[in-house]
Amino acid sequence: MSKIGWKENRTVYTFLRPEGRIKNKILWKENVVAYTFLGPALLLLSMFLVIPSIMSVYYAFTDYYLLTPNMRTFVGLDNFINLFQDPIFLKSLVNTLEFVVWVIPLQIGAALGLALLLNKQRKANTFFKVAYFSPVVMSLVVISVLWLYLLNPNEGIINNVLTYFGISAQPFLTSPKQAIFTIVVVSAWQGAGFQMLIFLAGLQNIPGDVYEAAQLDGMNKWQRFIYITLPLLKPTSIFIFITTLIGAFKLLVQPMVMTQGGPVNSTMTVVYYIYQTGFTDRMVGYASSIALLFGTIIGLVTITQRKLVKEDED
Amino acid sequence: MKKWLVVSISLLLMFAAVGCSKSESVNSDGKKTITMWVHISDDNEEGKVYKKRVEAFNKKYSSDNIKAKIEFIPRSGNGGGYEDKVNAALTTSTLPDVITLDGPNTAAYAKSGVIAPLDEYVKDQEDLLPSIKQQGTYKDKLYAIGVSESSVGIYYNKRMLQEAGVDLNTLPTVDNPWTWDQFLALCKTLKEKYDKPAIDMQLQSKDEMLTYALTPFVWSADGDIISKDGKKADGVFNKKTTVEAMTFIQTMLKEGYTTRTPVKQAFETEKYSMKFSGVWTVTDMKTNYPKVDYGVMPYPVSPKTKKLVSPSGSWQFAMTQTSENKEWAAKLVDWMTNKDSNVELSRTIGALPVRYSSEKVMVKEFSVQMNVFLKQLKETGHARPVTPAYPQVTRAFQQTIDDISFYDQNKDIQKVLDTHAKEMQSAIDKAN
Repeated sequence: MSKIGWKENRTVYTFLRPEGRIKNKILWKENVVAYTFLGPALLLLSMFLVIPSIMSVYYAFTDYYLLTPNMRTFVGLDNFINLFQDPIFLKSLVNTLEFVVWVIPLQIGAALGLALLLNKQRKANTFFKVAYFSPVVMSLVVISVLWLYLLNPNEGIINNVLTYFGISAQPFLTSPKQAIFTIVVVSAWQGAGFQMLIFLAGLQNIPGDVYEAAQLDGMNKWQRFIYITLPLLKPTSIFIFITTLIGAFKLLVQPMVMTQGGPVNSTMTVVYYIYQTGFTDRMVGYASSIALLFGTIIGLVTITQRKLVKEDED
Repeated sequence: MKKWLVVSISLLLMFAAVGCSKSESVNSDGKKTITMWVHISDDNEEGKVYKKRVEAFNKKYSSDNIKAKIEFIPRSGNGGGYEDKVNAALTTSTLPDVITLDGPNTAAYAKSGVIAPLDEYVKDQEDLLPSIKQQGTYKDKLYAIGVSESSVGIYYNKRMLQEAGVDLNTLPTVDNPWTWDQFLALCKTLKEKYDKPAIDMQLQSKDEMLTYALTPFVWSADGDIISKDGKKADGVFNKKTTVEAMTFIQTMLKEGYTTRTPVKQAFETEKYSMKFSGVWTVTDMKTNYPKVDYGVMPYPVSPKTKKLVSPSGSWQFAMTQTSENKEWAAKLVDWMTNKDSNVELSRTIGALPVRYSSEKVMVKEFSVQMNVFLKQLKETGHARPVTPAYPQVTRAFQQTIDDISFYDQNKDIQKVLDTHAKEMQSAIDKAN
């Protein structure tokens, strides 16, 4: 989509250029207006995103200590060398990757499933849409606290139901083995509603006559899903995949509220560790170096992903 | 023309959102203002006391060219909020004249030159309890004064202990504490009688409470977290003595005498017979669970040393290095922690005194339980380690507890301690 837009723009420019000064003047005037409108947004964006990002890249090579902001010195690659010897950082990296690997299929699968259900369901459609979407609009902290009650090892409703059916009570958040998976499930449950809406829009864009033709050709339901629905959903899926992936890498609130990174650092994520080293330990320089390294990793993953998708298209 | 309107409105809104006010240092009536930040909200009981005390300060010095102003910046559960604001003010040099800070932060703030020594201005330091002095001192200078003291003890349900056949007269006192083994025996009796954990040790809390409440076991065994000069953790924290203390805590868990997943309010609702908690629980019991008949006993001690050690510490007031009215700022710090402030705060939130003079008043008003805490604190109170690397040291300690509580996976306590002692050491090396 964006490709076409850009090409169109270029034709407009080449079209305007030979016409001479008057058109140029109009163009200039239009540009001024456009930039004035862009201005506030650009200013805020650079103030709260671009400049801090550049500053944190610089801080990554300093020993910036939060309490002595004016006494930072350049330390070269020291932070990065320490980083690779820091067992908690390495653990947090593994945890984050583990979370991403589990949550992506679960969340996207759930979203697709819900979208398919809602696409067929006509009765009370709006009700279900709202119901599935409501966790997305709720605050993550609220969601985490609610789940904390549900998952409470003694009084929690989930364990009570489990014991009622003769299954032993589970240490959902208090066992180093289960905690990260519990957070995976909670996160997928919370986030799936958003992807569901996008999938739903994608599904409704698939023209009905394609299905009709396929039905005439004798395709069964499963075949129609595999050979028609899935391929035609591909652009939507790529968008969802990339955004969910980046979102999953940023996991912070759920472990912060539900487990504080424990037990035994099993739910310590990279972003949480950045927060902890930066604001609890006050090592802003070190935290910045983690942020820089992690940003680079996410960037690489995204670029690789786009490359793979493009190769697929060609 | 309309678009210019739109542009100017959006610009206006932007500046309104971005612009921030800087507090004036001169009042409308020509008086100089000293500003003070506190970490709690103004509708909180503690906040109300502070507000009252500031009003009293202004009344007393109404003829002087000075006016104190208090600003409430509540901190969040994890200690954020307030400290974030202090950190932000540091980078923009907009700190007020007086701030509050948690005890273990003294070293970091003093070393970084955030707060200034009080010795020059606060002469009467003899009145301060030793634990308060210890907490507010960095490199032999007093930087901060605590507003109240605290302690931890073992709350026990009298009825439940009696029904389990325990003679309450044999229970330990501060003068005659029990050893870990004696305490384990009591837990065994209670566990067998009620088939439930005997005590909620608050092991599920993953915050400062763990360090605050559990370090005394290490000290009781004659161990330490870091060396006295604050330079060594490796070779100190991972000594045999710490292993002994950790073994005791692990045994409590292994035998099921305590649990990492306690039922909420189990002691208050008479499900567990004991609770390991701070002095603040006295107020909670009085207001919310008046029917529970309970007593308080001191920490159990290491069988080898028989040395009773208990925790101490609180938030404190300090003046900032950047204050332009140091004399008055120090005066306000002194005022906020003087006998009257201390007594008033103790009466409101049930905290322990920080001065000998206020102690004399409080001891008569305290309940039996409060007096156990007071005696324990006065005779055995121990401040937490003083080091600029405290955030990392305390977290390494908390992780030690976390690790040893999974005793199946971490059978070798020494190995756990070695790992975390190294973490502490590298943080200390970086900070010094």
